[in-house]
Amino acid sequence: MPTSAPEWNGALLTAAGLGAGYGAIRVLEQVDITVHAGQVAALVGPNGAGKSTLLKALSGMIPKTAGRVTFAGQDITRLTTQACGRLGLVHVIEGHRVLPSLTVEENLLLAALDQPAAARRTRVDEAYEVFPEIGEKRALRAGTLSGGQQQMLVIAQGIVRHPKLLLLDEPSAGLAPVLIDRVLEVVSGFRTRGTAVFLVEQAVEKALRMADRVYALVHGRIVLDTDAQSARQPGVLERAYLGAAHAAS
Amino acid sequence: MVITILVAGIATGAIYAMIGISYNLMYATSKVVSFTPGQLGMIGAVFGAWFIGVLGFPLWIGFLAAMGVSIVFGYFTERVTVRPVLKSIEQHLYVLTTLAAAMMIQQVVAIWWGTDPRPFPHLFGLGTGLASEKYWLPVVACFVVFIALEWFYRKTLWGAAFIAVAEDVEAARALGIPDVRVRVLSYCLAAFVGALAGFWGGQLLLAFFALGATLTFYGFVPIALGGLGSNRGALIGGFFLGILQQTANYFVGGVFVGVVTFVVFITLLVLVPGGLYGTAIARRV
Amino acid sequence: MATGLEAIASTELPGVAGRRSRAVLGVAAAVLAAMLLPFTVNHYWMQIGTLAFVYWVLIAGLDLIVGYAGALAVGFVGLLTIGAYTASILCEKAGWPAFAALLAAGTAGALFGFLIGLPSLRLKSFYFAMTTLGFSTIVTQVALGWESLTGGGIGLPGPMFPAPFDSPVGFYYLAFGMALIATYLLRNIAFSNFGRGLVAVRDAEVAAEAVGVPITRLKLMTFTLSGILAGMAGALFAARQTYITPDAFTFDLSVLFFIAVLIGGRGRVVGPMIGTVILTLLPEIAAPLVMWSNFLYAALLLLVVLLVPGGIAEFLERLFGKAVKGGGLEAPVPERLNAVLGEHASPKALTLEGVALHFGGVRALDGVSLTVRPGTVHGLIGPNGSGKTTLLNAASGFYTANAGRIAFGEAALTARSSDERAALGIGRTFQTPRVVGNLSVLENAMLGAYRQFTVHFPAVALGSRRGVKEDAAVRQRAVDALVAVGLRRLAHLRADQLQHTEQRLLEIARCLVMRPSILLLDEPAAGLSHDEIEHLRALIEHIRSLGVAILLVEHHADLVFQVSDEVTVLDVGRVLAHGAPAEVRVNAEVINAYLGT
Repeated sequence: MPTSAPEWNGALLTAAGLGAGYGAIRVLEQVDITVHAGQVAALVGPNGAGKSTLLKALSGMIPKTAGRVTFAGQDITRLTTQACGRLGLVHVIEGHRVLPSLTVEENLLLAALDQPAAARRTRVDEAYEVFPEIGEKRALRAGTLSGGQQQMLVIAQGIVRHPKLLLLDEPSAGLAPVLIDRVLEVVSGFRTRGTAVFLVEQAVEKALRMADRVYALVHGRIVLDTDAQSARQPGVLERAYLGAAHAAS
Repeated sequence: MVITILVAGIATGAIYAMIGISYNLMYATSKVVSFTPGQLGMIGAVFGAWFIGVLGFPLWIGFLAAMGVSIVFGYFTERVTVRPVLKSIEQHLYVLTTLAAAMMIQQVVAIWWGTDPRPFPHLFGLGTGLASEKYWLPVVACFVVFIALEWFYRKTLWGAAFIAVAEDVEAARALGIPDVRVRVLSYCLAAFVGALAGFWGGQLLLAFFALGATLTFYGFVPIALGGLGSNRGALIGGFFLGILQQTANYFVGGVFVGVVTFVVFITLLVLVPGGLYGTAIARRV
Repeated sequence: MATGLEAIASTELPGVAGRRSRAVLGVAAAVLAAMLLPFTVNHYWMQIGTLAFVYWVLIAGLDLIVGYAGALAVGFVGLLTIGAYTASILCEKAGWPAFAALLAAGTAGALFGFLIGLPSLRLKSFYFAMTTLGFSTIVTQVALGWESLTGGGIGLPGPMFPAPFDSPVGFYYLAFGMALIATYLLRNIAFSNFGRGLVAVRDAEVAAEAVGVPITRLKLMTFTLSGILAGMAGALFAARQTYITPDAFTFDLSVLFFIAVLIGGRGRVVGPMIGTVILTLLPEIAAPLVMWSNFLYAALLLLVVLLVPGGIAEFLERLFGKAVKGGGLEAPVPERLNAVLGEHASPKALTLEGVALHFGGVRALDGVSLTVRPGTVHGLIGPNGSGKTTLLNAASGFYTANAGRIAFGEAALTARSSDERAALGIGRTFQTPRVVGNLSVLENAMLGAYRQFTVHFPAVALGSRRGVKEDAAVRQRAVDALVAVGLRRLAHLRADQLQHTEQRLLEIARCLVMRPSILLLDEPAAGLSHDEIEHLRALIEHIRSLGVAILLVEHHADLVFQVSDEVTVLDVGRVLAHGAPAEVRVNAEVINAYLGT
């Protein structure tokens, strides 16, 4: 059962009035998001709504055109992805983009490039504990893994980086149903370790089951911002989507 | 005769291969094919000759100084001519900016150093005739570079970071790898390797301002043959070209060596667009 | 743009008048100034003027290559060298008269221009630049090495033109005349459908193919023309030098030519002309820096690329030009389509039988059969990745099917290239609109008629009247098409100033100007508002009523079911269902695959 974030901790991540896009194309407008420490927040929305763009804007992968982002009380609006990562804001991008010609182990060690060698080792071993099936393949090239294993590898890369908040982009996309559960189980595991997660997920029902907070993004705008219980009520999401579609036309 | 062709061919081939590797190093992390590798070789030769032959620096000090000059130019290339146009890489503006950088350094050297070729000093004074150091120094340098790079890529984590940026810069960035620093380093490394070619091949090439243009072209032929991004391809292509040129030189005479090279180059590009070790062409629609 | 045509267009389109009279005035003033130059300055400066004209003869041709076709030909000095040596050798060794040698130099230039053009078909950007650089290096080496013919390093005298062109003043006017001719040729091509085609090849090759631009032929003809100009420039250059050695043809000269085009602005005529004058004068003005002139050229190149990628022309326009404003979308006027499509839309059906296509191991299409009949709308729906766009690509020739048969009317398509299929009357739009950003909306629409021009490249270059007439007719048809889709008030904007949804309409207009027998529409309604979708529906229905077949790929299920005569549903590369919209809509499998989850 999700617990609400402790008030004294304040918000871990806040975005206010965020705008972003590619060149002349504006994808996001006036996006407000708050994620509390130790929470799982789910971001849902139809294809092309701008979900991945939002994650990229939050983690500094693409520049923001408007608004402000703070993380752990610090303004990170203009920080690079690396700087965000050092603060504990870690982005696992979509499409299980492992580094195919490097070994599994190298893929993980690289995630801790900024750590001393000993710490690197410990963290990688930690990740193997969470995903034993990855540990078995440590000497193989990442490109030879199956899609599911690659997805576990990129999440393992996230674990190695000891995030305070993990931005997870469609971790279950393209996975067999068994694997989806396995991956989402790991995501819930993050919460138990005190890591907050901001999750973009296609398997909406499953995502809602584990989330504390739900945001729906349609046409680059947040159309729903509610706790997970209300979002699970029948019709709530649909109405949010439809309402936005009508407003646009 | 066969021995002469082989010795001279392998020596010049090693120089071309190093220039080719310099192309690869820049390409890997930025996907930019720069017009500057030949100029890096020229810097190695001219500044090597200046520091050691003119100013009388000891060999290794002079070597490091020449490499230093080249690395500064390598950094300039990345910072001024590549980074500003990377965002719109599909417009290929880097072709023009790096060409401009190459012409600028060439003209500066032409004015300062003069337009006549000058001899490059003997470095160790080892060997005579076909066993002279001028033939085997570039070959040794070339293999050292090749093996060192293989070691770097396979055995060190920073080497893995280079591969990561080369393979998928966005994934690497998301992983916290400092992709910009990696790119800058790879340009400096490329400058180092390019200058090595000019320095250790200096006795063969002479210290000459126009070396840059020639090496830029001849160093690219191995790339066209071996495929952009493949150091092994550059090595094989370099030796192939070196031997081909020396053979042509023997049979049809010096001036038409260029014609032979050009014909081979065009034929290769049109018949095997990706090179022997190259990658396939991406889909467009 | 082409004379007399704006009169037609301007009756309906805003923002045209005034530009032409200003341009005529400017040209007249420039010509007069050039005519009077020998009477106003001393011989030295007149010689500089001669040199600028000689350079311009070459640069006018290079402008088509670099500025229009966008090929990075950095080694054009090679062609100048060939022209210079051809003329000089013929005069010196064979005793040819100078004018015959001039023509021979043009012929040699044409031959080598054609040869340089060949690799440009396969090689992009750096590779092609390197090829031309290699070419110019080799030409100089041959000039140096082939002593019996070229005199090697000693060189040989250039051609001597007969009186009255043997005096410096006479030669000045000869060079001036040649420069005028070069300008005329350049202008004729630049402002014709060939010029538009070249810009399309440069900026949006896929769009060029989709409207049927035969890229190979167009590029080779352009290279040949610039070869002629470069070769003749070489002969003039040799005559002006009076004596040539290989040293005269350094690579720096090549870069000068190249930069003249770039600082002038790509896809322009006047800009590169100004660029030529500036670059010819630069070493004279900066006399103490003459040894640095190559450095300055290079620095200029770097600065232009980094700071003003559009060159002088764009810079001046920004300074003096009035901002062109668009008037927003209008409601479409489908009735205007009757004029656009005429009776040319011959009814033909598109048939696919068992078409299969795979990428590596992935089967994108796995034995798809369907028929699109003339005068009907065939809706194609399916989940993401089901192969809809792949099917359009297979039908329009961007992909080659691995198995199966594709026929259009009587013609088997499978082996034909995309531009040939366009010529047969297959028009298509793209999910991400492919428009030529640097051309105006009107010019983009005109591109659609590329294959309907009957005049040939050489005739257009020489100013054929028929070409001008055809251009006028196409312009009118393009205006009609723009009115029909509702883009009238945006016609004079650059296409990249349009929004995505407007670009989709522009693609449709461009297809209509093709007078297609079939239209393949890839998600035309994406991003459109409710009203705009209604407009689109009316447009599609009207196109259908004129006998055109339409294959509609669309996510917007309502639109598809409303407008289609039959619907095919794809799922993982196979046909899941096919039939009348009402049947398909209630098909349980379809609901599961598409509407469910």
